[in-house]
Amino acid sequence: MDATLIGQSLVSGLGIGCVYGLIGIGFCVIYNASGIVNFAQGAFVMLGGMITHVLLVRGELPYGLAILLAVLIVALLGVAVERLVVRPLWNRNAPMFVMILATLAAQIVIERLTYLAIDDQPKTLPVFTDLPPVMLRGIAVNMQSLWIVAGSLAIVAALALFFKTTRTGKAMRACAINREAAALQGIPVHSMLALAFALSAGLGAVAGIMLTPTQYTAFDIGVPFAISGFIAAIIGGFGRPFGAFLGGLMLGVTQAGAILAFGAGMKTIVALSILLLFLFVRPSGILGPAK
Amino acid sequence: MTAAFRSPAVSPVAVPGPSASGPAAPVLAAKGLSARYGQVQALAPLDFEVGSGELVAVLGPNGAGKSTLLRAILGLVATGGEVSFQGTVLPRRNPAAVASRGVVLVPEGRGIFGPMTVAENLELGAWSLGGGRRSRVAQERRLSWVFELFPRLKERLGQTAGSMSGGEQQMLAIGRALMADPKILLLDEPSLGLAPRVTEEILETLGVLNRSGLPVVLVEQRAPSALKLANRAYLLSLGRLAAVLDPREVQSHDQLAQYYFA
Repeated sequence: MDATLIGQSLVSGLGIGCVYGLIGIGFCVIYNASGIVNFAQGAFVMLGGMITHVLLVRGELPYGLAILLAVLIVALLGVAVERLVVRPLWNRNAPMFVMILATLAAQIVIERLTYLAIDDQPKTLPVFTDLPPVMLRGIAVNMQSLWIVAGSLAIVAALALFFKTTRTGKAMRACAINREAAALQGIPVHSMLALAFALSAGLGAVAGIMLTPTQYTAFDIGVPFAISGFIAAIIGGFGRPFGAFLGGLMLGVTQAGAILAFGAGMKTIVALSILLLFLFVRPSGILGPAK
Repeated sequence: MTAAFRSPAVSPVAVPGPSASGPAAPVLAAKGLSARYGQVQALAPLDFEVGSGELVAVLGPNGAGKSTLLRAILGLVATGGEVSFQGTVLPRRNPAAVASRGVVLVPEGRGIFGPMTVAENLELGAWSLGGGRRSRVAQERRLSWVFELFPRLKERLGQTAGSMSGGEQQMLAIGRALMADPKILLLDEPSLGLAPRVTEEILETLGVLNRSGLPVVLVEQRAPSALKLANRAYLLSLGRLAAVLDPREVQSHDQLAQYYFA
């Protein structure tokens, strides 16, 4: 097999892996704040691309502004999911299983509402910068992939800084470690949960927006992305945001390799096999459990 | 109303001395406070008061409802009755709001943020002071005060809290609570699992804090050490208030044991 081809696939695997990683981080941020696995995460990815498309094409807003607004809208929707779906159940002391199912229901509702409000046609977005691919030792790297990798790394670094240095970031970590003790220090744990949903939804939206120019978006792309992000989080050790990012990269590259070796049909099989492998052999993920 | 639920042990006979009948103007007052876990009543309605500058001990055997009483004051459990602090009624099921009013609990098992550093734990303790520049000055001042009380915390600032010894973790838990500028400090068995010498050190510090004017509620299994510090003691048994004692009148272990097993 051609080394260039392998390099090419590695690059595209890293690109999609970054996206899985961001979605996986979203899973972890909410899980840490609440213990809930939020399966509405995929809806945020879908909405990122969709809303940007609507604002750009129907609203005729400048691209940058459309992106910014879309991320904000999706982040607010994240808060709405927390307020309307999660918190009422939480206040009623609903079992975790019920809350997880409720997020799955929210995913389906958002998906169907998007279908009714927009349509069922795939949508795409223009690339961020319309430049020819960069050649690296014979491997053509398209600019959008560079945007995805650079954007993801910047977001991961910003998140690390946020959790490490800011008061709010530390308070969110404290809630993840011991919610009751955090409340006893006066930390408003409910607001922290809402913030976690906003953050995760925003991350999902950014992932969706960066990815859409290289693929497409449609009302029903959410669930596969949610599953990939979930696998990334499992690989990383659920609840470890940076583990999830590494997990995403691993999943993306492995999938790209499998497509190259066995064809595109193997993509999902490989992803789910990795999930099973980790659940059986190393359920605590590559970095070990968070708590 | 609540008297009907009290155990028979609480009669004027069981309440020795006038000082044990309660402070003139309590800072913290619970009226008919009860608590339940699901369907199980964990604390029968009782009245509980802490006067300004008082150190009140809550004693009783395992399962007497001591921790539940503290959790009920904070609103961490489903409660009946009413708790007021400095004249205003405290919210229920919102411990963060209660803490922001200066009612700060050092929980059973300490509740430190183990994976975070000592410095981060203390910083989060000061959450309710706010994040502005002025509050940062106030925070610095409180921090140096906490270091005076517990010099060991200063040496361990960069260490992860979970890697410290039990005694140091308890000091951190108390130090973190003090960062919140408490108007009353509640402690749930701070001596649990600690060596006697360390316990003495911690109780001594609580005495110092109390003498500086901070009201303290101390839940303790080790009744003798708690009684040495306390102005009054509430004795609980099987989820009920059994007696309110004046520590000066508790002459011997035998007398205490009598209450325990009454």
